[in-house]
Amino acid sequence: MSKISEIIKTTNLTKIYGQQKSVDHLNITVNQGEIYGFLGRNGAGKTTTIRMLLGLIKPTSGQIELFGEDLFKNKKEILRRIGSMVEVPGFYENLTARENLLVNAKIIGVHKKNAIEEALEIVDLHHETRKLVGKYSLGMKQRLGIARALLHYPELLILDEPTNGLDPIGIKEMRSLIQSLAKERNITIFVSSHILSEIEQLADHMGIIHEGKLLEEIGFESLRKRNRKYLEFQVSNDNKAAMLLESHFGILDYEVHDEGNIRVYSHLGNQGKLNKVFVENDIEVLKIKVSEDNLEDYFTKLVGGGAIG
Amino acid sequence: MADLLFTEFLKLKRSSMFLISILGAAVAPFVVVIATFIHEPATPFNDLFYNVNLYTVLIIGAPLYGVVTTYLFNREYAENTLRNLLTIPVSRAGFIISKMLLLFMWIMMLSIIAWVLTLTLGLLTQFDGLDTSLLRNSLKQFSTGGLLLFVLSTPIILVTLVLKNYVPTIIFTVVITLINVMAGNSEHRGLFPWAAAGDISNHTLPSTYPAEYSYIIIAGTAIIGFISMVVYFTKADIH
Repeated sequence: MSKISEIIKTTNLTKIYGQQKSVDHLNITVNQGEIYGFLGRNGAGKTTTIRMLLGLIKPTSGQIELFGEDLFKNKKEILRRIGSMVEVPGFYENLTARENLLVNAKIIGVHKKNAIEEALEIVDLHHETRKLVGKYSLGMKQRLGIARALLHYPELLILDEPTNGLDPIGIKEMRSLIQSLAKERNITIFVSSHILSEIEQLADHMGIIHEGKLLEEIGFESLRKRNRKYLEFQVSNDNKAAMLLESHFGILDYEVHDEGNIRVYSHLGNQGKLNKVFVENDIEVLKIKVSEDNLEDYFTKLVGGGAIG
Repeated sequence: MADLLFTEFLKLKRSSMFLISILGAAVAPFVVVIATFIHEPATPFNDLFYNVNLYTVLIIGAPLYGVVTTYLFNREYAENTLRNLLTIPVSRAGFIISKMLLLFMWIMMLSIIAWVLTLTLGLLTQFDGLDTSLLRNSLKQFSTGGLLLFVLSTPIILVTLVLKNYVPTIIFTVVITLINVMAGNSEHRGLFPWAAAGDISNHTLPSTYPAEYSYIIIAGTAIIGFISMVVYFTKADIH
């Protein structure tokens, strides 16, 4: 059996309610082992997308492939491989954490004796033996939601805004829990949020959704590179300018773009010195630009104004 | 299915609804037996059973079992547990049938509790005319009433699933009770399924129409309700 590297793949996924397109021709790809951040403002279509991925709602059109198979052709088997937490997780408040997990274990058919105990240990709730879930704080419920999602040893974890409503310590704990799950259990994680910094700290790869449309899908490494501050020179001879950067200043962190544009990622603030050396070596400097872009500005520009969320 | 049914029982652990429903089922036996004891102590035991079953099926049954039905089905929406359950590999039809099985057991238990209370209170207040034949026949009547009300619960489940709230179901069951009361003296009451259920269980179906008409109307209501709710639930988006 060949190994599937694309765990989630949607093709032109669309959901229309009346006249409103909640999700509009969405094409996302999540690869095995990565933490994929799904970023968008409130009402952007994140939860609708997640509900479609989990088969809770049917798409108006488009396709969902999970583990290389059509979700709606083999839903039962596919769902067996997924753990999920959609928004604030709901529980039977008259039951304890163990009893709540027992409901899921019985339905899924988890036969491993200590599966419930193991799941509770992961989220550090194994000491709460008698407390009813109705008495849990929101943070505890979120952690219990993760335990429930992990109960059947899923290969893919889909989490919808798992840090919503948590205090800063709770957010930090949730973040390290998600990261450790990806590392130690090699679980592919799809996590949505409207908070840019959350996704930035958590994910390797990210999709940005706005008004139902995917604006961009990008790895954080390339994104940071793209959004690093730089000096840009437009010069008459880019080869010679590049040689001077290396020989004169020892600069290796630069990129040569088309039309004689060179981006220098170090020596920021030294544009005067660099310009002087270029001119002294008969290189015409047509333009000097100091980039001011950072990650937040990038998102603001992308979604058309206003901060995410 | 056994596992699904187990989880349905587990969900009821420490639930106050269980006790509330028992209190609801105890109303008719208490009121009928005590009122009869005070006003007509010479009434035969047979009439006690008849009256309690009449009130249980026609007056209290629809709203009481309606609330139980709504609790079983609506709590999954109200407590946001449905979207968790349906993201694990469980058949939606299987899920709904396990809930119906529990509802059946619950309704039958409440019917039997009403019967046991009538018997106990009747014995304590020393009504005459109790024999084994009356015991057997009355138990059969209470069970038939419970069974028919369970069969007729499918439209109530449908209302709960579609409107996801207690209020529409309560209004629906109050309307049913109102029609039962208004039709009490009508010779056409055999055509209204819930009123017919009361008459069938008490063997008082009017001869205006053949009994088959009432059975067909009850079966039709139940089947249409069942098919509609299964189709709706298996196709509905879960938000």
